[in-house]
Amino acid sequence: MSNQETSKSVFLNVNGVSYPVTIDGGRNLLSVLRGEIGLTGTKEGCDDCECGACMVLVDGQPVNSCSYLAAQTQGREITTIEGVAPSPEEMDPLQTNILEAGGVQCGFCTPGMILSARALLERTPHPSEEEVRIGLSGNLCRCTGYARIVEAVQRTAAGAKTATGDTGQ
Amino acid sequence: MTTTEIPRFVRADGPDKVTGSGRYTADLTLTGMLAAKFKYSGISHGRITRLDVTAAREMAGVLAVLTDADVPDVHYDPQIKDRTLFARDIVRFEGEIVAAVAALTPEIAEAAVAAIIVEYEELTPILDPEAAMDKSSPLVHEDWESYEAGSWLVRSGNTASFSSLERGDVDAGLAEADQIISSRYVADGSHAAPIEPRAVVAQWEGNKVTIWTSTQVPFDARAGVCETLQLPTNRVRVIVPHLGGGFGGKCGFHFEAHVAALARTAGRPVRLVFSREEEFTIPDRRREGIVVELTTGVRKDGSITARKANVVIDCGAYIADTAFFPQLAAMHAVGPYLVPNLMVESQIVYTNHQPSGSVRAPTAPQVCWALESHIDEVAKAINMDPVKFRLKNAVDTGMVGPLGQTYEEIGLRRCIQQATEAAGYGQELPENEAIGVAIGWWPSFASASGSYVKLDDDGAGQIITGAQECGTGAVMTLRQLAADELGMKPEDFEIIYQDTATGPYDMGATGSQTLLNNGRAVVEASQQIAEQLRELAADRLEAAPADIVLADGKAQVAGSPESAVPLSKLAAIAGSGKLLLGHGSGSPPVAPPIVGANCVGDQGMASWVGPQFSCHAVRLRLDPETGVTRVISVHADHDSGTIINPMGAHGQVEGAIIMGIGQALTEGTRYDETGKQMNTSLLEYKLQTAADSPSIHTQFVEVFTENAGPHGAKGLAEAPNIATAAAVANGLAKLIGSPMRQLPMTAERVWDTISEGGS
Repeated sequence: MSNQETSKSVFLNVNGVSYPVTIDGGRNLLSVLRGEIGLTGTKEGCDDCECGACMVLVDGQPVNSCSYLAAQTQGREITTIEGVAPSPEEMDPLQTNILEAGGVQCGFCTPGMILSARALLERTPHPSEEEVRIGLSGNLCRCTGYARIVEAVQRTAAGAKTATGDTGQ
Repeated sequence: MTTTEIPRFVRADGPDKVTGSGRYTADLTLTGMLAAKFKYSGISHGRITRLDVTAAREMAGVLAVLTDADVPDVHYDPQIKDRTLFARDIVRFEGEIVAAVAALTPEIAEAAVAAIIVEYEELTPILDPEAAMDKSSPLVHEDWESYEAGSWLVRSGNTASFSSLERGDVDAGLAEADQIISSRYVADGSHAAPIEPRAVVAQWEGNKVTIWTSTQVPFDARAGVCETLQLPTNRVRVIVPHLGGGFGGKCGFHFEAHVAALARTAGRPVRLVFSREEEFTIPDRRREGIVVELTTGVRKDGSITARKANVVIDCGAYIADTAFFPQLAAMHAVGPYLVPNLMVESQIVYTNHQPSGSVRAPTAPQVCWALESHIDEVAKAINMDPVKFRLKNAVDTGMVGPLGQTYEEIGLRRCIQQATEAAGYGQELPENEAIGVAIGWWPSFASASGSYVKLDDDGAGQIITGAQECGTGAVMTLRQLAADELGMKPEDFEIIYQDTATGPYDMGATGSQTLLNNGRAVVEASQQIAEQLRELAADRLEAAPADIVLADGKAQVAGSPESAVPLSKLAAIAGSGKLLLGHGSGSPPVAPPIVGANCVGDQGMASWVGPQFSCHAVRLRLDPETGVTRVISVHADHDSGTIINPMGAHGQVEGAIIMGIGQALTEGTRYDETGKQMNTSLLEYKLQTAADSPSIHTQFVEVFTENAGPHGAKGLAEAPNIATAAAVANGLAKLIGSPMRQLPMTAERVWDTISEGGS
């Protein structure tokens, strides 16, 4: 592998922070986020675009970061699960609702699920149950059977819950 | 209960999991850490004629290359010691580990693996378990007789473990029948498929090793490392970071020792992370393929006179933890029915497939699918409604079950009545729709288990437990049990868990046993502290300890709430004297005796502590043009005893049902003619998505159960994974006019069955 020939220095904007990284042109965004930038909240489940555990937002659009070239994200805004909460003391309503509705078990799919849900609510603020189910169909969950995750997204859409710092309950 | 009525239960590990701050094993990085890769056999059966790792060892950046020659000469596996860490002479499935490499980067490790030279004399793969039982079949393990094995096991050639269940006189029973119905069903293997592929990190300091691993059973993993690397338990520490699901697939010990051995040789920490393809093909935890043959004698009035059954389970290349599967499968070939005469023979047979192992309710969904399909055939043969047939023959409170266990109060019949009523069973449905009904049962597994509970001098609590959380919420629920005993709130407790160096022994997230066994331990430990608190409070409040009530964070005199002292004050007093420490393990409940039945190859599965029961009613729609099945709704009723954490319980049932629908319709391992798996990605091995999933309506028939878990609870995590595929099958059979004989019941198979005009 001739890293010297293909690698280049770029700035990646992740969760509002600009990170200087030197990367191989063929490197996927997931491995750069986890390996270079040190944000491990984004998970690898299949490296094949099938499970959605690696979902992040690039300029608000959900992408499977396992199959997205890191170099293509230069100059764009990347949001990972670590960037969803408004502050360390406060969670986003989606996070609170997915927890309170019982939509979290092992938690491995949860980051990708939350980012897909966020993108869905951006484009469809008041989705029907069917729209939520279709919107989340790229994210596999093996624990919950989906019903409580769907409910959490609908609760969020309905504004049933505002952001809260009540994270330790 | 509808979703919104279920009491709120926020998990202690929830904030870690929704913010991305929680660490899973593959997220860990240690200074100087190397990457591990394995060299696999890639063939199902062969004799190694040459193994040369010289070139790999000489590569720049490679710090360790290990083979069978580099580790202690130890055979392992829980009941039959048929396995070595690395292949020795013979490879018996495509995922056999021939060598392991640790290198500076995954890319270098991969290049080193490619540089390892292995040559084989290829042997004919043994792939059909029924043919492998024949005396003339070649053997998967030529030396099977020399393996150390449990003396209670009945073994012969490729038959790794045989069990039978016998009661009454089956031939006389069949002779009494008005009708005799025989059927044969074949279930393919499948996978647990947790979303987190497994990972292991190992680091040595001096002569002690710490292993972080995505296991459901940290103490078993430790025992495996100790056995294979010949270390005492106190020099091996197994820590499980957050675990990304398991469903049985991460039970047992396997790769921890390979990674620890690499780290010791390299003198550096080493990390192994599986790809999805490895997750499918390598672990000895495939859900087993099973062939089930059933014969039932029945009278015109619907009473069963006899059952004869033969069950053949595909073991794959090594026994792993499956030696008890034949008896468990035999129980499911009987089912929760009154059967006066029975003879079930059941065996698990070595083949050159990937090894089987405990996946969520091992053997049960497959054999339940076969039995419940058969039961619908039997009911149809005598023109009786299948639900009525079940209500007539199902076991109930006070009855003696098919193996002679007398049942205390159980809720099976209520499950059947409630689930079918809620589903609208019997009402007219649109064209191409049907409701299929099936029932299931499952034991609760009693085991030794320990926990400490302590209150520090500010009154904050800790539960220090050996229990393992794999997502179910069982460990999270322990806070509730401690809080109830001490008059505190669940959030007053932190949980220290899944670390073999801090918590007492627990069997792990396996056998639906966490709350059942560790829950009892936590209650016992909490009661010891409660007693201490009452004594301290009695001194201060001038009352007898027996009159002190712990509630709302205070100790108060019963009937005089104004006479109270905060627990934090008592904790401060204890902090400079006798500390508030509790420890519990308790005696596991003992299984009731079986009466009037004989079991050959008994594995203790013929009588069950805290038996659980379920009924699933599945409404589905079939497109007869394409064979595509759409599940519309599932009504599930469960007797799992007292429900302690309703939200967690509903979550278990819902997740298991979606898994069951996958098993019913899409999830099945396909092999090529050499025994290698063909569908090893999530594109080809289809899990259910949010868009596929039906509405699920769960009700619990709560029966307080003595001789079980805390507050009368039974297990729960596996039971809801049993009856769904069977109920789907029975719905389909109504629409097709004949049963489906193969699992999964893919669109192609359904279409074929329709085209053949039934089977």
